Amino acid sequence: MMPRLISRILAGSGRIALLNGILLLAAGEMPAQSPVPAFQGFVERVRQYVTSQRPVRHLRTTNRRKQIVERRAELVRRIRETRATAQQGDIFTPVLADEFRQVIRSAFQGPNAINVRNTVRRGDPQPGWVISINGSYPDDLPLTTVPPSLLLRLPQLPPEVAYRIMGHDFVLQDTEARLVIDYIPAAIPTVTRAPLRSGHAQH
Amino acid sequence: MKPGSVRFAAIGDMGTGNPAQYEVARRMAEFRQKYPFTFVITLGDNIYGGKSPDDLRKKFEVPYKALLDEGVQFFASLGNHDDTNERFYKLFNMNGQQYYSFNKGNVQFFALDTDYLDPKQVAWLETQLAASKADWKICFFHHALYSSGAFHGSATELRQVLEPIFVKYGVQVVFAGHEHVYERVKPQKGIYYFTEGASGELRAGNLKAGPLTAAGYDKDQSFLTVEISGDDIYFQTISRTGVTVDSGTIRRAAQTR
Repeated sequence: MMPRLISRILAGSGRIALLNGILLLAAGEMPAQSPVPAFQGFVERVRQYVTSQRPVRHLRTTNRRKQIVERRAELVRRIRETRATAQQGDIFTPVLADEFRQVIRSAFQGPNAINVRNTVRRGDPQPGWVISINGSYPDDLPLTTVPPSLLLRLPQLPPEVAYRIMGHDFVLQDTEARLVIDYIPAAIPTVTRAPLRSGHAQH
Repeated sequence: MKPGSVRFAAIGDMGTGNPAQYEVARRMAEFRQKYPFTFVITLGDNIYGGKSPDDLRKKFEVPYKALLDEGVQFFASLGNHDDTNERFYKLFNMNGQQYYSFNKGNVQFFALDTDYLDPKQVAWLETQLAASKADWKICFFHHALYSSGAFHGSATELRQVLEPIFVKYGVQVVFAGHEHVYERVKPQKGIYYFTEGASGELRAGNLKAGPLTAAGYDKDQSFLTVEISGDDIYFQTISRTGVTVDSGTIRRAAQTR
């Protein structure tokens, strides 16, 4: 199964051929008997979000602080408008969510689990946060580092979106709007210190 | 100060807007009068808390006004408290990129986003390092690969990914933040690691100096200054009150003297 997994990753990006060391790291975590998740349709669903539900952006750097904030607010408004009826599971369908859970589980339980867990624990995790579709990731909360060995085994994303970890939830986030596009609840095992605070992602 | 040298300062975890950040910034400006560094690298957590225009002003533009007015450039890397939209803020010189590279003299700098070290970023780093002709290759980012800080400690998984690349392509020096102390780590596989995460925030007494630690300081806020001339790096770490708490020289492909 591992050669197939590696082949699929390599097919996703020729440059990944440079990542021999990381591939070995990931290979060490995947149980030999695990079926390789196909993530069938996931990339297409993400592409649909980026091209159909999100305005095209040609952003430039600016000295104007206000402009950065206003651009983000406008993007948030338009995405929420376009996705007013979006629901949890629209992108992470039940089948896809199971596949993501399988890969996440193997990362957190495999031979490299101690390092994966340390990555999350040392990245200021925020347990107990309740999130919602189209909800904003609060400005005053830190991001939890997404373990690089996990990122290696998941479908690569366009720059408009990123995987995030929010407490126990695995999240697909719009990187610029900081909105929750979809999430898989309770996908991340407990690795945290005592909760720092809790609350709800704000609209 | 050597003619034609590359001179810069490094600050991390500074964007609080609190008096300590302002005092460190004033000390930096004062120090620059006798030691004119031309740019600053930031090691993440540039803007804590709110991200409104006023936050950016109070937590960056006002404290560092004296430096900005004198044309000192800031090259930012992103921390876990930062908004990725900071990459569009011109004064951070990120050109809209979450990770990027720039050259100064015989030195090439590589700013990474360790919150999200995806395969694309790793491949980019390998490509950039492989193509680099610089004498000195310096990486900077937020999470320390080696740290004796009690709160976070070493980012061991990031280290598994990055260290072999650093070794393979001859990165000599790495700067990071995240842990709110200053620490210089004994060279690891020939690479010098600095943590400067106390340029605004501070966890006093949090440095548990151990076998990794070459020098450290956790009693007050601090910033780091560096001069690179030919094969030598001169570094000096200065506290909020102006005391030099660490200094030394690194010779390219040799030991600290």
